[in-house]
Amino acid sequence: MNFHASSVGATRYVGERTPRKEDSRLLTGRGQFTDDIQLPGMMHIAYVRSPVARGRIVSINLEVAREMPGVQAIYTQADLAAIPVQMMSFFFTPIESPVSLLADGRVACVGDPVCMVIAETRAMAEDAAALVEMEIEEETPLVTIADAKTGPLVHPDKDDNIAAEMGDEDMLEEAIQPLLDKAPHVVTHTIRHQRIAQSPMECRACVASPDGSGEMTVWMGCQSPHLAARYLALVLGLPQESIRVIAKDVGGGFGLKNIPWREEVAVVVAARLFGRPLKWIEDRYEALTASSHAREQEVTLTIGLDDEGKLLAAWSDYACNNGAWPMGEDANIAVHMFMWPAHKLPAYGFVTRGWYTNTMGLGGYRGPWAMESLIRETTLDKAARKLGIDPIELRRKNLIYLPDQPVTSGMGIEVTDITPGECLEKLVANVDVAAFRKEQAEARKEGRYLGMGITTYIEPTGSAGSMQPMTGETVHVRIEPTGKVVAMLSTHSQGHGTATTMAQVIADRLGVAYEDISVFEGDSAIGAFSPGAAGSRQGVIAGGATWKATELLADKVRAVAAHLSNASVDAVTIDGGMVHVEGAPEMSRSLKELAEIAYGEPGRLPEGMATGLEAQFRYQPPPMTMTSAAHCCVVEVDAETGFVKILRWISSEDCGTVINPGVVEGQIAGGLAQAIGQVLLEEMPYDARGNPLAATFKDYLMPTIFDVPDFEYLHANTPSQTIGGMRGVGEGGAIIGPPTLVNAIADALSPFGELGGKKGEVTLPLTPSRILDVIEQRDVSGHSAHAAPVPAAAPVSAPAVPEAPVAETAAPVPAPAASASIDGDWDMTLKAPMGGQTFVAHFETQGTSLSGYLSAPEGQQDFSGGTIEGGRIKFEVKVDKPMKITLKYDIQLEGDTITGKCKMGMFGTAKVTAVRA
Amino acid sequence: MKPAPFDYARPSSIAEACAILSEAGGGATVIAGGQTLMPLLNLRMSQPFILVDINGIADLKGVSRVDGGTRVGPATRQADALRDETLARHLPAFVAALGHVGHYQTRNRGTVGGSVALGEPAAEMPATAVALGATIEIASVSGTRSVKAEEFYLGPYMTALEPDELVTGITYPDWPDGHVVLFREVAQRPGDFALVGMVGALALDGGKVSRAGIAWFGMGPTPIRARQAEDALLGKALTEIDADAVAALAVADTAPFDDHHASAEYRRTVGKRIFARTLRETLDIRSAA
Repeated sequence: MNFHASSVGATRYVGERTPRKEDSRLLTGRGQFTDDIQLPGMMHIAYVRSPVARGRIVSINLEVAREMPGVQAIYTQADLAAIPVQMMSFFFTPIESPVSLLADGRVACVGDPVCMVIAETRAMAEDAAALVEMEIEEETPLVTIADAKTGPLVHPDKDDNIAAEMGDEDMLEEAIQPLLDKAPHVVTHTIRHQRIAQSPMECRACVASPDGSGEMTVWMGCQSPHLAARYLALVLGLPQESIRVIAKDVGGGFGLKNIPWREEVAVVVAARLFGRPLKWIEDRYEALTASSHAREQEVTLTIGLDDEGKLLAAWSDYACNNGAWPMGEDANIAVHMFMWPAHKLPAYGFVTRGWYTNTMGLGGYRGPWAMESLIRETTLDKAARKLGIDPIELRRKNLIYLPDQPVTSGMGIEVTDITPGECLEKLVANVDVAAFRKEQAEARKEGRYLGMGITTYIEPTGSAGSMQPMTGETVHVRIEPTGKVVAMLSTHSQGHGTATTMAQVIADRLGVAYEDISVFEGDSAIGAFSPGAAGSRQGVIAGGATWKATELLADKVRAVAAHLSNASVDAVTIDGGMVHVEGAPEMSRSLKELAEIAYGEPGRLPEGMATGLEAQFRYQPPPMTMTSAAHCCVVEVDAETGFVKILRWISSEDCGTVINPGVVEGQIAGGLAQAIGQVLLEEMPYDARGNPLAATFKDYLMPTIFDVPDFEYLHANTPSQTIGGMRGVGEGGAIIGPPTLVNAIADALSPFGELGGKKGEVTLPLTPSRILDVIEQRDVSGHSAHAAPVPAAAPVSAPAVPEAPVAETAAPVPAPAASASIDGDWDMTLKAPMGGQTFVAHFETQGTSLSGYLSAPEGQQDFSGGTIEGGRIKFEVKVDKPMKITLKYDIQLEGDTITGKCKMGMFGTAKVTAVRA
Repeated sequence: MKPAPFDYARPSSIAEACAILSEAGGGATVIAGGQTLMPLLNLRMSQPFILVDINGIADLKGVSRVDGGTRVGPATRQADALRDETLARHLPAFVAALGHVGHYQTRNRGTVGGSVALGEPAAEMPATAVALGATIEIASVSGTRSVKAEEFYLGPYMTALEPDELVTGITYPDWPDGHVVLFREVAQRPGDFALVGMVGALALDGGKVSRAGIAWFGMGPTPIRARQAEDALLGKALTEIDADAVAALAVADTAPFDDHHASAEYRRTVGKRIFARTLRETLDIRSAA
């Protein structure tokens, strides 16, 4: 393990399997979860939800329900609308769908909250909820992505069912197809990833207590109390300090709890209206059917390779089901950004779309862009089989190793210290692949089908500075007069063990006993803004902040001790809570003695030094810190039943400095358990009427302890460029796990053919029925009868073009002369990678030449050299965030509206609309 | 997920329980271990006016030997039945199947009668009752009656039990000493209801099959007795048994369905295989094929 040079004592805490500070309270039932909050006068909420996937609310009759015992109030959207709310995404951009807290005239999915019942107990609230009479004029719902492409509008006020769209369709013909045409080998692969219910152990929960005038304390299952408080203040238009969010213990987040969503915000709004504390505890039925779902995506990837297996070009067509009310419209651009930065791939292009449907909305879920690894790694293995090249060799030919770096990918991702290749080498050095191949060949003769999957991946972690709200971390650490150490952080643990790992860093860098450190977190009144657990960032950023703050504190301790001992600072060391002076053992003091002087006897401190022993540091790390890994999984497939047994799973990850191997391995194991669930078990199916079909854990199959093997771990430790050298590890298992398992199964089944059959389409989960489809070369699962075809063919046909009712967004032919001048201010919206961006566009024309500026609260961007001819407007704007790209606008004026597109370099094309300001 | 309001009664005798059931006029539901009923109550899929808790009725618990068979009280905990020496000695097929019901934790609370009376078509215990030829004893204020297990199951969660009736015992006839146990199921996770499963017993006399009782679970709306397979096995010497052919006959009696966990075709295909595999392994014979 590689540590920074130490100036403190010899006792090491970083890198140790220290027992977690959280465990004693969690394992003995003494955790403090939101449902443990009991307040005087608190009332309980139950939601009445739509049983219909799509329709107009004709009437809501509350008369009978209101008369039920214990009922205090029943609110509909008409009531909650008294406090205006503009829902936002995790990136603090407005949600584009017309989402309201409760259904507003229409319902767009089963589970849409329609009424809120407030009663003395939850049971009473449910009794009344059952008696609310709703009349809904049911319309035929759009359930699948295919439905969205051809059906009526999910949101009648939108132009089409495309929630978000990126990519450049022209690039296929112009740049990629010619390369594929010349490639000796072309491989196309399609994966349909099923819909996932996030299923945290603790469902969502919220208690809102109005205090004083306009202030509110909110206990909430969240991933960052700071982010939740900021979000609530923003969507409610309140000062942030008026809302305090407390979340001591939270049982799992995974992205579902990134931001408060409709139900939680509604509790806060209702508490303001009702004037008393309100509690909503989501039950498991709601959690499965009405919490934001995840995944449900279809992607087709085509790669061209030369005879040696070197990649020449790639094209992908991606679609994901956003549902009706996504927590931010999403075309999942990150899939494309992170598919290839670790590979030597000359050319890549894509189209990517998110579609609205009448299903529960999409939310982020541990490694939201994980499809990039799943489709890439499974396609590479398919290519290896086709070319007769060992899959490890194929990766060696294409991966970027350390000596190849730094290098910038086609999409502008610069990698300087990624190690997927090095992780792979370490992995294969520890797995006897040749012996396995021999065993596999022998087993096949006996009718036993073993398979090995080997994959690599990289992951952006610890993101900071490129988009709201991804930023740094502030740590305040102090030695109390008692000699004990207290740290205030804005970290949050939903199982992450941040109090443990941060205390380890403090113990290590300060030279005090781990037991003498208390970490306070989980309260927006503690620490400064950070997004908490999101994007595998806490170990990297909070770890670095804690590292540095502690060193600053150690510096002060040494300065005080040196002054008291009349020694040089360099002669002072701290170890085991004692301060020693080299060569003067009689001058050793405990931190308690030193602290008593620092707090109580200012006259003994160096001239001008502040009293007390404390330090604070806010760490803004590099914009992105990459983690790498290679995994190997060995399975046996029972050819008679189609069952998969996982025999072995080895992880070889590089997350830089490992603060606590147990915590790192726990993160990997948790992600891999979710991966196993996604590949083999979990699925939230919908019927044609838009009903979610897995309403309990009897039908939604979570992996259990029987389904998850004991994983083996290899740790590479290439320090990152952050303080402390950590790299994030929270999401990795959930990203690399699925392709590793799918590849192992595909390898086991290779004597029977490709996992995706002749069409090359793999549908998850790989149920025993679907595995028999491959083994028996026939339709055992009934799959072909049930599933709609994916519009893609080998090598590559034209990308799937939405059929109807999608509006034409570009202006391919010169339009008639515009009826009005373009000069002046326009409210312009750009469907950008992280959601819609709205800004003011100001135009000034002189003949056919155009100049002006784009203005948003964050700043103004001037441009000139544009043109306007016949209402067709072209201009370019250079931006450097999130990365350096030139935005090329090509838009058309039509009276008082502008529509068109904006080419954003490798990000492809975004839709632009504008109206006169 | 809170149950709709209900009244609660805890009778101490069968007669008292029957009186309450009768009085409720169909609005009562019996609770024993609650492993299935509690979730149904919480989901409000079951909304009885009154819940009749039979845990206080001593006569409904325990295992006893009766003339020509073994009688299991319906309120006997599954965990207790698994440890019962009488059942281990006389009904090994019952014990083999019971070990697959739910999980260790649920078996501490769940009862044999609950599993038998619920009528879940993919559950182990109804099929076991059908295969072994059990008789369900039923009481009501009108008196008592007995129903053969095979006639007890009418459809998914639908049985011959009337709303005012109570299961008071399940009697499994004796099988000869040394009879052969058949059991295999395919479930996505241990403890899940089976995608497909089979359970049964074969008695041998002079090297020939003298008695056969085999039933499927997860292969139709009820447990399904594999009658054609039983007939094909009867009188056969072990060496004469063509496991694949018998399995094909067994599948011919089934009516499986599609759900999102498995297709009907999967259930037929794999059902036939596990049937044949179980026969082969259990009888240590080789298929003629």
